[in-house]
Amino acid sequence: MLLNNQATNSDLDIIDYLDQRRGKVISNTGGWFPGKGVFSHGYSMLEELVGEKSYFQILILNATGKLVEKPLADWVEAIYGCLSWPDPRIWCNQIGALAGAARTSVVAATTIGAMAADSRSYGPRTRLEGVKFIQGALKQYKNGVTPQEIVAAAAAKTRGKPYIVGYIRPIAKGDERIEAMEKVSKQLNLSAGEHMALAYQIEQVLIEKYDERMNINGYVCAFLSDYGFSGQEMYQMFAGMVASGVTACYLDTYKRPPDTFLPLRCDDIDYQGTARRQVPD
Amino acid sequence: MSSSTESPALNESTTEPKRVKVQSRNEPFSARASTRIWAEQPSSDNPYIAIGALCHGYDLFELMDKRSFVDVFYLLFRGELPSAAETQLLQTLMIALINPGPRHPATRAAMNVGVGKTNPLHILPIASAVLGGEYQGGGEVENAMRFLRKYQKTNPSDFLKQHPADLQTLAPDVDVSDQSGDETPTSPTPGFGKRHGGIDLMAAEIAERLIKLEAAGEALKWGDEFAKTLAPSGSGWFITGVAAAVFADLGFQPKAGGALFQLLGAPGLVAHGLEVANKPITAMPYVSDANYTIER
Repeated sequence: MLLNNQATNSDLDIIDYLDQRRGKVISNTGGWFPGKGVFSHGYSMLEELVGEKSYFQILILNATGKLVEKPLADWVEAIYGCLSWPDPRIWCNQIGALAGAARTSVVAATTIGAMAADSRSYGPRTRLEGVKFIQGALKQYKNGVTPQEIVAAAAAKTRGKPYIVGYIRPIAKGDERIEAMEKVSKQLNLSAGEHMALAYQIEQVLIEKYDERMNINGYVCAFLSDYGFSGQEMYQMFAGMVASGVTACYLDTYKRPPDTFLPLRCDDIDYQGTARRQVPD
Repeated sequence: MSSSTESPALNESTTEPKRVKVQSRNEPFSARASTRIWAEQPSSDNPYIAIGALCHGYDLFELMDKRSFVDVFYLLFRGELPSAAETQLLQTLMIALINPGPRHPATRAAMNVGVGKTNPLHILPIASAVLGGEYQGGGEVENAMRFLRKYQKTNPSDFLKQHPADLQTLAPDVDVSDQSGDETPTSPTPGFGKRHGGIDLMAAEIAERLIKLEAAGEALKWGDEFAKTLAPSGSGWFITGVAAAVFADLGFQPKAGGALFQLLGAPGLVAHGLEVANKPITAMPYVSDANYTIER
């Protein structure tokens, strides 16, 4: 224990501010009051949302505070279907498969798999960089910079291929999900705007110069930028986007005997470390 | 509340390029995973069963006989056994960090898990994820290590002269002015600042004790001077800054620092979660409706 004679040089206003909040919840979002109702962003959930709005409308409301029309929520739902595949080779899904092999609970497996997708390379976090790129590119474009120049600037940074977040997909060239989503957009009668138009122009440059294409992240970032969403809002609304595929991969290994998912012999691990040595006394 | 439901205006025609068949890049993935940390030696009649393990070349059984847990912990991450002085510095820090305390958000998360009758096996992953945050967590440790690396050759007073604007916003833990931002602002001095309005005396004392140890290095010493320079304004060491300085002085990389902080705080998180796991759900406060305000 310290002697109680040391000054913390504290700001008394902050102590007062904290004291006023002890034991209290001040929510900008909503809450549940038994007998009165449940509220989310100003809506009574049971009277105005449940049964009236789709689950994805409620999900987007909870994640961003915005209540969107059903077609846009349906579009986001369709994207979710594109982002979660039951293939355990995908990194986050393999977490689910390993968790199944190790007999964790399905909830642990699913949530840690979703957490594994919090990556700089793939998953919801890439929305931040993807949106930064396309929204920044549009500003430049409006100031007279051409799509060719935008791509050239990105290429100069990496001294070669322009590794722009939202373009050049790892593992495969091209992205079949974009075509599927283009159909969905048309079916839902959702038109894209200037971000998407520029995103396509940039893609065209990449096709011609580098034989590379947009990926689904680039498509989502441009499309939802056209509907007024920020990168952070997209990060929030896609937080659990891979969960369903992780669950699927968990189940597959959970039902099989333990130790049989990609079994490893001792020498299947390539040891590249220091050779055997004596522990000094 | 805003609504973004209208179709955006088209200012030019949106023409999608012709879609082509997706092709695998056939990237050259390694045939085997590799590690410099651990080698398992197979038994002669079953290649899946190990008869021994080497940690950076040292036989695990021999380490069990001859070395302390802290020595092997250091070896695991750094690749070499520590000197006696390094062990002393790391072990002292490990004791200091063993429990973030029942008021830390991570520990509160652990206690919620426990009292909520969640599977106790979930206490650690849940609470340690909270201990990975960028405020008083692993994220801040990593940022603080980068901060120390960048400025530990700069005189602390000079730093403050060079960053007068930063001083005004120095890690305010309570920002009453702005709740509208998309992202929370990051501290200009990660690992240092005001906690609950003033200097964190526990963090200061822990740093004070660590700095006297033989293996204390430049980062701890610079941090100490920096904290003293900040003191008149009610700012000082955060525990994350202290951890960052010790990790830096022991040669750990910033990327490792955050995860190490989570590891070293884990015992306290689990202990608090388990403590309430058998208690009724009423054993912890539940805010009354009267004390619940919706700001809209």
